[in-house]
Amino acid sequence: MSFESVPEGLRAVVERDCRAVQPLHPAWLRTVVAVGVLAVVLALTLASASLRCDIDRLPMWLSWGCSALQLAFGVLLIAMALREAVPGAAVPDGAIRWIAGTAFGVQVLVGVATAIYSPAVAVAGGEVTAGIGCLSREALVVLPTFLVTLWLVFRALPLRAPVAGLLGGAGAAVASDAVLHLICPMSDLRHVLVWHTGAVVLFMAAGWTAGWIWDRMRWPRSS
Amino acid sequence: MTDDRQAEEQQLIELMIDYQKGDMDAFSGLYEALKRPLIRYLWTFVRNQSAAEDLLQEAFLQLHRARRTYIPPRPVRPWVYAITRHVALMHLRSARRRKEVLPDEALPDVPVPPEVERLADRTTVRRLLAALPRTAQEVLILHHLLGLTFEEVGQVVGVAPGTAKVRAHRAIKAIRDRIAEEEGEG
Repeated sequence: MSFESVPEGLRAVVERDCRAVQPLHPAWLRTVVAVGVLAVVLALTLASASLRCDIDRLPMWLSWGCSALQLAFGVLLIAMALREAVPGAAVPDGAIRWIAGTAFGVQVLVGVATAIYSPAVAVAGGEVTAGIGCLSREALVVLPTFLVTLWLVFRALPLRAPVAGLLGGAGAAVASDAVLHLICPMSDLRHVLVWHTGAVVLFMAAGWTAGWIWDRMRWPRSS
Repeated sequence: MTDDRQAEEQQLIELMIDYQKGDMDAFSGLYEALKRPLIRYLWTFVRNQSAAEDLLQEAFLQLHRARRTYIPPRPVRPWVYAITRHVALMHLRSARRRKEVLPDEALPDVPVPPEVERLADRTTVRRLLAALPRTAQEVLILHHLLGLTFEEVGQVVGVAPGTAKVRAHRAIKAIRDRIAEEEGEG
């Protein structure tokens, strides 16, 4: 085939760098990688901490059931982030709003239901100290999955990078919170909303910001 | 999808796989196959031949840089159009920032989908099509002129297939209503 139809400048660039490349793995396979990291971190977290002291008081659907539901939403959000990262496979705006909103709503509702079923447990050291402790632990648990998910997202080519980052951050945080819900003994609604829901919001914002920065670096505005 | 369209898509997939293996001939084949439809698509963003041609080069450069993100055997065209669309949107955004205004060239080259073409004479249809919002024009062009399914259109522009269908339907209806209005006034 002749190259004559290809403009000279373009041809020169392509010819300079026409090495074989390994195509990206499908989104489901990349999701398996991120979920693998999530599973290891969550298993280690469960193994290294004791379950909340009021776990027997909570109905099964509210403790393990809601955790499983949150986990499923988290994995779904991670899968959506990784799909969004592939050009021509954009996730519809409506689906993003619906899934992200529902996952966030489930996290809040689980907190509300837990506060109703179990009286608040006071933790020594005051609210803020306990809150900071929870936030730090949540950050430690979320971080590995968050970083791996964003790495997988930005290795592809997210055309709406802030959206993909936000989905990745939400997925990692919601899925990790599923296990922290079984560990944190504080059922006080204020604690849950400020420190645990706050952590989810923080990681969503971090994902969005990472996407925004990546987008500026990948598509310089001067061009 | 018609047999022709399927054969065309299959050919694009094979070219893309060879291109990922480092075959320059395959790149040339892709350029030949996609140049014209991409120029038509780019017309919905910039109504200027030289700007559209510059954007075509930029789009192919970006496709080259991103070639590993194509996952065989997915359809090639949604991947290509999504990257091209992003290149065009980036261009529009930076042109807006620089307050740059490109002159709209004469309308004859505005691509007209066949479904719209038969509604009135060519000049009227082109004028009304050009007056539609870009999101509506884009869906019309992608589906009715360039042959993407509504599912593929949705994947390119980031909306549900049903939304893409509704946008295309509303765009044709808007043109039809405007023609009826103008005929009534005339």
